Amino acid sequence: MVLPLPPVTPLPWPEQPGDLPRDLADRDALDQLLASEFPSAQGPLSRIQGGRQAAESQLQRMDAKRYGRSRNHLKGAVTRLSPWIRHGVLTLAEIREVVFAQLRDRGQGRDDGGKLINELGWRDFWQRMWSDLGDSIHESQEELKTGHDPASYSRELPDDVREGRTGLACMDGFRDDLVSSGWLHNHARMWMAAYLVHWRRVHWKAGADWFLEHLLDGDPASNHLSWQWVASSFSHKPYFFNRGNLERYSDGKYCKSCPSADTCPFEGSYDQLESQLFAPQPAIRDVPSRRRNNNSRGSASAAFARPKR
Amino acid sequence: MPFQNPILWIHEEALGSRNPARLAWSNAPALFVFDTQWIEDAGISRKRLGFLYECALDCSVTLRKGDVAAEVIRFAERHQADGIVTSRPVDPRLERIAAQIESQCPLERLEPEPFVRLPRPPRLGRFSRYWREAEPVVWEGF
Repeated sequence: MVLPLPPVTPLPWPEQPGDLPRDLADRDALDQLLASEFPSAQGPLSRIQGGRQAAESQLQRMDAKRYGRSRNHLKGAVTRLSPWIRHGVLTLAEIREVVFAQLRDRGQGRDDGGKLINELGWRDFWQRMWSDLGDSIHESQEELKTGHDPASYSRELPDDVREGRTGLACMDGFRDDLVSSGWLHNHARMWMAAYLVHWRRVHWKAGADWFLEHLLDGDPASNHLSWQWVASSFSHKPYFFNRGNLERYSDGKYCKSCPSADTCPFEGSYDQLESQLFAPQPAIRDVPSRRRNNNSRGSASAAFARPKR
Repeated sequence: MPFQNPILWIHEEALGSRNPARLAWSNAPALFVFDTQWIEDAGISRKRLGFLYECALDCSVTLRKGDVAAEVIRFAERHQADGIVTSRPVDPRLERIAAQIESQCPLERLEPEPFVRLPRPPRLGRFSRYWREAEPVVWEGF
């Protein structure tokens, strides 16, 4: 459902020349205004709307228990609240209270809400890291553990990725979602980052900056440090995945119609992909046994999500 | 000496009703400025600006674009303000703007509501270290 623009009450102080208008008829008028005032800013509006009403509407859909069970799936019950959290429309404290109230109302306990509270903790952690690190989040925090020379990573985003014509249904689909809606599921963000950094050998910063052009939640701390986690400059080993993993958590929606299904670069076991993508070194070879299997299709599990120690 | 007649600088980390500056000064004139230099340099897409615009429309603020510090100072002069109040930003870019503003006019940064109040600054570096300290405190509220 498309909401109208937030209701605007006249300001109690007079307007002056150069003030941007507040009494816009609808989203089309807003789109036109922005095109005229900010000609460098490309692309139309997202279907995701700003403002408190839209935020509350999304918040009402939050289901802490289902989130905990299904969050890794693209169709899972993720909250999608990040754009409003990023801009302070909703605060973490407020959402924490809503989660607690929901658990109490439904007779649920800490185990049911733990994953979602943990995720709110991640947002808080990234913000604290940003306060700590400042502008250095734009630089690699540690040496890469991929065995490759940092200078071998391209500083430019490849055109086929930017334009969504890699021929890989998953990556082109993620790109389309990113560019049209300005939001991506976290798992899709990680897959796309791993593809760019490890398969295409693109420097994480080129991908991270591209994400920030589009993500409505464009938070440099969470974004850049997560890219660095994938790249291995903010973790002990690089994150990568295989087709089995992507197929499982996307319910096969991309692979079914992918023009590259027979030449999928993600096909293979983790061992196979590891030796293909990285130069041998102890930090990578020293991985948990669950990532070692000889299944030619590969396991559906991957080193998922976030740095662990 | 507390301000008598401040204006509020609302920035993109605090476009909500729990903005501490707004809570402290509910009737003060408030301003949000689109940072044109940042928008051009970072290649920010129109959908991001649209989202920000819709959030800002909810906040009873005057909307401007341009050099943020200069616009905030001009807005303070326009309202004959004796100071500027804002929420403390995390983004170093916003903090640089705050410092620019402060070099020309008294500025008060109010702390936003925290997710968790810890007795001492937590150990960072990796999430697990932070969460070992923070998680029990978060759940005290349940």
